[in-house]
Amino acid sequence: MKIDKFKLALLPITTVVFGIFLLMLIVYVSQSIPIFKKEGLAIYTTNVWKASETGEEFYGVLAAIYGSVYTSVIAVLIALPLSIGFAVFVVDYAPKKLKEPLIVATDVMAGLPTILYGIWGAFVLVPLLKRFVMEPLYEHFSFIPLFSYPPITGYSYLSAGVLLAIMVTPFASAIIREAYRMVPRVYREGAYALGLTRFEATKVLLGYIKPAILSGFLLAFGRAIGETVAVSLVVGNTFNINPSLFAPGYTISSLIANQFGNAFIYNYMPSALFAAGLALFVIGLVINVAGLIMLRRWSHAKV
Amino acid sequence: MRRFKDHLFLVYLVASTIFVVLPLFHILFCVFANGLPVLMKGGMNFLTGVLPAPGDGLGGIGPAIVGTLVLTVLATLMGLPIAVLTGIFSAEYPNSLIGRATRTLLLIMMEFPTILVGLFVMNILVIPLGSYSALAGALALAIVMMPYVAVYTEQALKDVPSRYREGAFALGLRRRTVVKILMSMARKGVVTGILIGIAKVAGETAPLLFTAGGSYTVYFQGINRPIGAVPLLIYQLVQQPYQNYHEIAWGASLVLMLIFLAIFLPIRLSLKEVKL
Repeated sequence: MKIDKFKLALLPITTVVFGIFLLMLIVYVSQSIPIFKKEGLAIYTTNVWKASETGEEFYGVLAAIYGSVYTSVIAVLIALPLSIGFAVFVVDYAPKKLKEPLIVATDVMAGLPTILYGIWGAFVLVPLLKRFVMEPLYEHFSFIPLFSYPPITGYSYLSAGVLLAIMVTPFASAIIREAYRMVPRVYREGAYALGLTRFEATKVLLGYIKPAILSGFLLAFGRAIGETVAVSLVVGNTFNINPSLFAPGYTISSLIANQFGNAFIYNYMPSALFAAGLALFVIGLVINVAGLIMLRRWSHAKV
Repeated sequence: MRRFKDHLFLVYLVASTIFVVLPLFHILFCVFANGLPVLMKGGMNFLTGVLPAPGDGLGGIGPAIVGTLVLTVLATLMGLPIAVLTGIFSAEYPNSLIGRATRTLLLIMMEFPTILVGLFVMNILVIPLGSYSALAGALALAIVMMPYVAVYTEQALKDVPSRYREGAFALGLRRRTVVKILMSMARKGVVTGILIGIAKVAGETAPLLFTAGGSYTVYFQGINRPIGAVPLLIYQLVQQPYQNYHEIAWGASLVLMLIFLAIFLPIRLSLKEVKL
């Protein structure tokens, strides 16, 4: 058998990429072991943050996991209707002159350095949301648990969720747009031939690309949950498990960003933060793999 | 009634389009409105000077700009060769087990939370060396950049019409030579990928948090010493309570935004679509 020398030469380099990924996993698992040995699963199931240089330490990152999921769910719930509406508008309705600029604008948004979202979020969006959304809702509807927390600073799950929604919508809509554009013309013509209005026809066609829509949202969720700097500037960074949208909280990534800098003066805090990172690692991996599988299944099906 | 629903639907589409795009213009506007006065007031010194003490005027963000430049160049040097060769591999052997796995891995790494990359590099490089360093920051950025460049390279190679590949093989050329020819045809796509990767990492903050360390009062001191970066500087200044630091943060944001748009817009306008 002839040996493919070219393949043989490239193989080690490709292995480097796998090596890096594997090494990351190994580092996260091995660095988490001390805290698992000390606390067991309590690191994930309790909300305690007792840091002490000499006395007893105890860490539980449940608040951060809760905050990560909560803010990302808010983001996806806002991004869902917006990105579908945007995708349909760009593909079906937008005049030719408007189409290209709109797509370029969302591409710029998807690539914009996240710290710019962060500074805008902290100095512009939070005061706006506090003044025009949180305060009126709190005043009139504070009996509803969602709105029950007094919006003192404005830094909250809601602020983080809205900011994340703004950041991930272009990304989700790009996937949906691409899929929607690919729907064969005959389907649309068939729908019109049946006498459906544009609204009814669009509803039918959107049903056809359901897997792509779902994968867009999984990938958007994965992106939202991993975002760090923009979120940590608006979420309030407080150990808190509160159902209210207006309460400040933590997310896994903002917890790491805030605490890791001075973690090394404590015995177990670095390990606790690595364990939190491991949770993010696993959640992110599962969500993104699921999203990619959905997308692949759809792109195979369309051929 | 059906007519009415149809109209309502159009209203929803237009409204969502406005809601999607409006934040971009608001951000651009705010960064200009807040950053431009700072740049005007600080003048050239804002681009070359060093960070002042709290409450002591504007100073400048020179070390951060140089830091971003150094980090980006170093990251490109580290990440580029591996990324391009990996892209070639997964384009050349798309049906082999390793080729398929590589492609999947690249897509996963593209979506990987960047803060985790930073924490990882801190563990393997900063702790053993005992100090934050430009080297660690660049390594973290290189890991973030790699999947983008690799995926673009792969796509660019796949976009070369297959008859060129077949023709080259029919001439009896070795695979190495064939790939060389295909790469020169796919050059534009590969360069695009590299530029997108550069635009991406030049704006990254999270991977630098625990690797670059930050250094804003002195210029570049060597790759084993802490280094600053514009996004990192903004992040750190926003969290400070001082008025002048907030102003510097806005000025730095404008600089960062202009750098990003200067790289990104020309690429985007020369292409049909990008993957971010």
